[in-house]
Amino acid sequence: MGAALGKLLHDPQALEELLRSGRVRRAPGPGSPDFADPRKRSPLPFGVPSLDAALGGGLARGSLHEIVAPPSAGGTALLRAALAAATRAGELCALIDPADSFDPAATDIDLRRLLWVRPAQAVQALRAVEIALEARFALVVLDLGELAAPKARARTGQIELVTFQQRAPRAGASAWARLARRAERHGGAVLVLTRSAQAGTFAAATVELERGATRWEGGPGAPGRLLRGAMTVGAVARAKRFAPSGPLPLQLSLEQR
Amino acid sequence: MRIACLWIPDLPLVATLRAEPHLARVPLAVVQAGSSLGGRAHVLACTPSAEGVARGQTLAEARALCPALQVRQDSPERIRAAGQAALEAAGTLSPRLQEKEPGLIYLDVTGLEELIGDERAVARALIQAAERVGLCAVVGLAQGPRAALLAARAALPDLTCELTATGLTGGAFRVVPQSEERAFLEGLPLLALADLLLIDDELLHSLRRFGLHTLGEVARLDIGPLAARLGSEVAALHRLARGEDQGALVPQLLPERFEEGEEMEWELSTLEPLIFVWKALLDRLAQRLSLRGLMARELSLQLQLEGGAWDERHIELAGPTREVPSLLQLLRLHFEGRPPLSSVRAVRLVVVPTREVLEQLPLFGPRGASATQLATVVARLAALVGPERVGRAVAPDTYRPFDARVERFAPPPAPLLPELFAAAPLSFSARALRPPRHADVRCDGAGRPALVISEGALGGRVLGSSGPWRTQAEWWTDSPLSLDAYDLELQGGLLIRASRELSTGAWWIEAIYD
Repeated sequence: MGAALGKLLHDPQALEELLRSGRVRRAPGPGSPDFADPRKRSPLPFGVPSLDAALGGGLARGSLHEIVAPPSAGGTALLRAALAAATRAGELCALIDPADSFDPAATDIDLRRLLWVRPAQAVQALRAVEIALEARFALVVLDLGELAAPKARARTGQIELVTFQQRAPRAGASAWARLARRAERHGGAVLVLTRSAQAGTFAAATVELERGATRWEGGPGAPGRLLRGAMTVGAVARAKRFAPSGPLPLQLSLEQR
Repeated sequence: MRIACLWIPDLPLVATLRAEPHLARVPLAVVQAGSSLGGRAHVLACTPSAEGVARGQTLAEARALCPALQVRQDSPERIRAAGQAALEAAGTLSPRLQEKEPGLIYLDVTGLEELIGDERAVARALIQAAERVGLCAVVGLAQGPRAALLAARAALPDLTCELTATGLTGGAFRVVPQSEERAFLEGLPLLALADLLLIDDELLHSLRRFGLHTLGEVARLDIGPLAARLGSEVAALHRLARGEDQGALVPQLLPERFEEGEEMEWELSTLEPLIFVWKALLDRLAQRLSLRGLMARELSLQLQLEGGAWDERHIELAGPTREVPSLLQLLRLHFEGRPPLSSVRAVRLVVVPTREVLEQLPLFGPRGASATQLATVVARLAALVGPERVGRAVAPDTYRPFDARVERFAPPPAPLLPELFAAAPLSFSARALRPPRHADVRCDGAGRPALVISEGALGGRVLGSSGPWRTQAEWWTDSPLSLDAYDLELQGGLLIRASRELSTGAWWIEAIYD
């Protein structure tokens, strides 16, 4: 549809003919219910055709979604794919990153449209999601994929300052219920990455990932051996509006930096 | 040249009613500022409902005459803001204007009838402009400034400051056509001129000793002998009386800053009451900006503290705006982020305006958040997690792996047509560990990592590895970078990026591929 629209905008005569014939109607105005309700807008895709198809087009606006994936299974890759697709479509997105793990070096995401928030505590992270939703961000990503409790330590020097911190407590059911309600009220999509399922029934869809084989280029010990990626298997394990999907093989590549 | 005079009579009273319109319905007196005066403070102005109360009475007298009297102290902040608002209201009709004193503005209205209508319509438009900024005004329109002021004075009896659903209304006007100007002036008592300080008391006394009580009587005399006896001032009065007002209008530019202020009745040390004050000030500022088709480009908050010193804060706005809720939120967050050292005695908000920026709404889909709303959100998040932890992510131009910093978040406007997004293969993303985690790494005989011992799940036997890739950079700085990096697959499937410092031999886990 986008390509056809692009062509039409470069051909005013064709557009005028379509408008005169009534085959194209004007965009919904502020009085139209579709205009007022952002939940009726098209979903936000991951840009992964098989997964988007299983989710009915992507992340539904006004809903909470969860990705449950073990480390190195591609959960962060999926988060980035969703952010890349949304920001390149001109949507404003927020990434709530309590682990401070986002790497802005990759060029897939339009960083101008991404607000990066690094809360220090879980409570702050949940509150930050709510604030971002209130501000009508189209996609709010909460990255709870922290593997290990952070342990601050000086990289060099004689004296090492070590701060032991408790593992962040899991958010209770009420927190997820509140986030789901906020998402529905403000029309933004929330995507949460966790290592084990947390949102439960409050998630409109849960995508689970499982690691497959690692792909190397070159034999073990060979000079110039490269890590090229891995196979992973995804599935929409739970969804409120449609049936769970079967296994969806996904290939993760790695660009060397 | 036709001159209009916009006059706010009893400016201290009108300025008070502008800030507290509900007082228009109750007996109200504005008294001299200064709490030490107590009952000895003099009444400067009062509403018509304050029966028996008159200007010049002491507060004790006024209260004795009208027990239900509400009292407010004269506020220089309110008067200054009301004077500015009057000037701006006049500026919406004509750019050629002169502020004689706060609340008294002359403006050249020649030719405006082609835009607005006859002179009565012009006068009415001036009154409406004043009412839009919360002021009750009288307007006089005549051939010269002094005649216009006298015409405005003649309209005073018709002035009724009333509170309606739209605010204060009840302005009055008097238009004196050129052909009737002499007749209008001839009937005016000289006392009226003295009231308006157009003649001094000494001249008035001299004229009354000559038996002259009206301008008409002055006009009928031969000016030569009169001027010889009483000086040149009476000659000007004579010309005015004959409808030959030659007072000059000296046009001036409108001020570049909008100010609204408030003095507190008692010192404030908490945020909640200040929010009420700011809300009222912002409402009035928004009214004034809207009247002139402007928006706030910069906002400053000035707080007068307990000792009398001023604490000035500049609040950065993401874009031009006059959205009161967003500006109020920014003020609140700024105040919470840096509370003043002592309690607050007075508040002043200063806005530097810019031309109205009309936002292009998107063609497809609903309107997103405005730049100011976004700035408010960023400010809220900054207050929650710290300003250095919110913003736009930027990869610095450095050789240090997985380095990142934040810049100010100012997204570009949404494209009219979204970029066509082609499905792309999924790529592993690096989850940076900040700071990098220390690890003990045992290597095999060939020097390749074989075992990683680190905290939590970050350790294990190495199943596959690639590297090393050497980075030697920033040797020109105090902290040179010299390391070998490896990609490692650990037992359990974890893929990590680890590096070994060449100078110390220490191993660090920089990131996890996920």
